[in-house]
Amino acid sequence: MIGAKSRRILITGGNTGLGLALAAKLARRHKLLLTGRKSEGEVAGTLPPGAGYLVADQSDPEASAATVLRGIRDFGWDTLDNAVLNAGTGFAAVNGIDSTQAIRASLDVNLLSALLQARALYPLLKKSGGTLTLIGSVAHKGSAAVPAYAASKAGLHGLARALRSEWKADVSVQVLHPGPAKTDMHEKAGYDPGFMRSLFLAPDDVAAMMASAIAARRSPVTLSWVKYLNGGAYTGRRL
Amino acid sequence: MTRSPKRALVTGGSAGLGAAAVSLLQAGGYEVVVLDKDSPAASENPVKHISCDLASRPELDAALPELIASGPYGLIFLNAGINATGHFESIEAQAHIDVIRINAEAPMVIFARLLEAGAMRRGAAAVFVSSLSHFTGYPGAASYAASKDALAIYAKSMRRHAKSRGVSLTVAFPGPLRTGHAERHAPKGADASKPMDPAEAARLILADALAGRKSSIPGSANRTFAVLGRIAPKPVTALMRRLIYSRL
Ligand SMILES: NC(=O)c1ccc[n+]([C@@H]2O[C@H](COP(=O)([O-])OP(=O)(O)OC[C@H]3O[C@@H](n4cnc5c(N)ncnc54)[C@H](OP(=O)(O)O)[C@@H]3O)[C@@H](O)[C@H]2O)c1
Repeated sequence: MIGAKSRRILITGGNTGLGLALAAKLARRHKLLLTGRKSEGEVAGTLPPGAGYLVADQSDPEASAATVLRGIRDFGWDTLDNAVLNAGTGFAAVNGIDSTQAIRASLDVNLLSALLQARALYPLLKKSGGTLTLIGSVAHKGSAAVPAYAASKAGLHGLARALRSEWKADVSVQVLHPGPAKTDMHEKAGYDPGFMRSLFLAPDDVAAMMASAIAARRSPVTLSWVKYLNGGAYTGRRL
Repeated sequence: MTRSPKRALVTGGSAGLGAAAVSLLQAGGYEVVVLDKDSPAASENPVKHISCDLASRPELDAALPELIASGPYGLIFLNAGINATGHFESIEAQAHIDVIRINAEAPMVIFARLLEAGAMRRGAAAVFVSSLSHFTGYPGAASYAASKDALAIYAKSMRRHAKSRGVSLTVAFPGPLRTGHAERHAPKGADASKPMDPAEAARLILADALAGRKSSIPGSANRTFAVLGRIAPKPVTALMRRLIYSRL
């Protein structure tokens, strides 16, 4: 693209769902490094051509931060223009109450891993005046179906608010809150949205809104039907 | 036959806001169970102490059976918390982990398991101590802010289900308190408002909890701050930056 500078972009949870949809959108113009929990063999052939892939299991937050940092260096990058911390998991609360394991996994995978990755990536983002994007959810305001998941996303919201102020001179920090999208997440979480699923947005459209929100560097941004119907997937800035 | 006594659980009951809540509850006729890694200060009304470091998952898992067996509770006060202040990137990873585990994960686990086990009576009140920071950005304490937002939203998410089991749920948003915690972490002269006496804050929070209110913001200055933070998030966060972050 004329004038569009090629960026170095990390997308965690980039091997499927929203992360992969975003990667597919950006792959032609930018250099991508994607992460996930699945092995390289399992994702072979599904990723956009040219994208790097790294296994970083976020069930151990500290190890995941170290793995991502090492992986970026091994990939030959000493700066990062964008970090999109998108990997996430959820668990439907059985009889209204989360198991201890669901509480711990939600906080570890969704919140603490992103927090420690942000901390580890700061020097790389700072060097290029980059942007840190945390992927929250509209559930960050509360959800009886997935209380621990909602809590983890509220944590990301608070983290972004604080860091946006702390790092304002060096790194743009934002949190994006997608509305429900047609990915496999709900099935994996053991949650059946029923006919409501037909109202969910297509991952591709959410990814388009993610890309323009990332380019605009604003925060917080809700990516839902309201934005979509206002042309959010087709207008707006280009990343 | 004697009437079974009212029983309360206070986490982090050995100091600060928690200790103040313990005294008030005892004065109100409650038998109090304190979950804390430190022993409570000796007093005329002894409490039952369950020792547990909430940063440790195995310790919490090991303490849960006794915690459940010590109920059923008429009131639980989930208060234990720590802070880690400084520039986010220079704070040790382990300190961030402890903040999330102690402030958010542990009270979520305790509440979920007590509710599931029926260890709270019908009509019981549960208090989640979040922070006034929920209404603003909190540069200089990013993981703390994250933990307190997570806790507040967990509580909000659980309210309806808890109600179906007869338990009311109150989220407390105290501002700066005159406790060891605040003195350790707040830079000198950092507070916009005068720190509040923990006994006063505990009194106001418990009154709101026993009245079944959804939230409790003790003190009129703090309530004003919360409103301002909601309607003008950017200037209020900028103020927090000036008052706290730039003095670290
Ligand atoms: N879909 C929605 O309706 C919706 C709505 C609001 C917010 N969101 C958020 O958007 C983000 C992406 O969601 P999605 O719908 O694309 O979900 P998805 O299709 O289930 O994909 C989740 C991604 O996260 C990765 N992941 C999960 N657990 C992991 C772990 N322990 N370690 C490392 N990676 C892990 C997965 O990698 P593996 O496949 O290798 O496990 C996968 O790449 C999440 O943060 C989600 O909370 C989604």
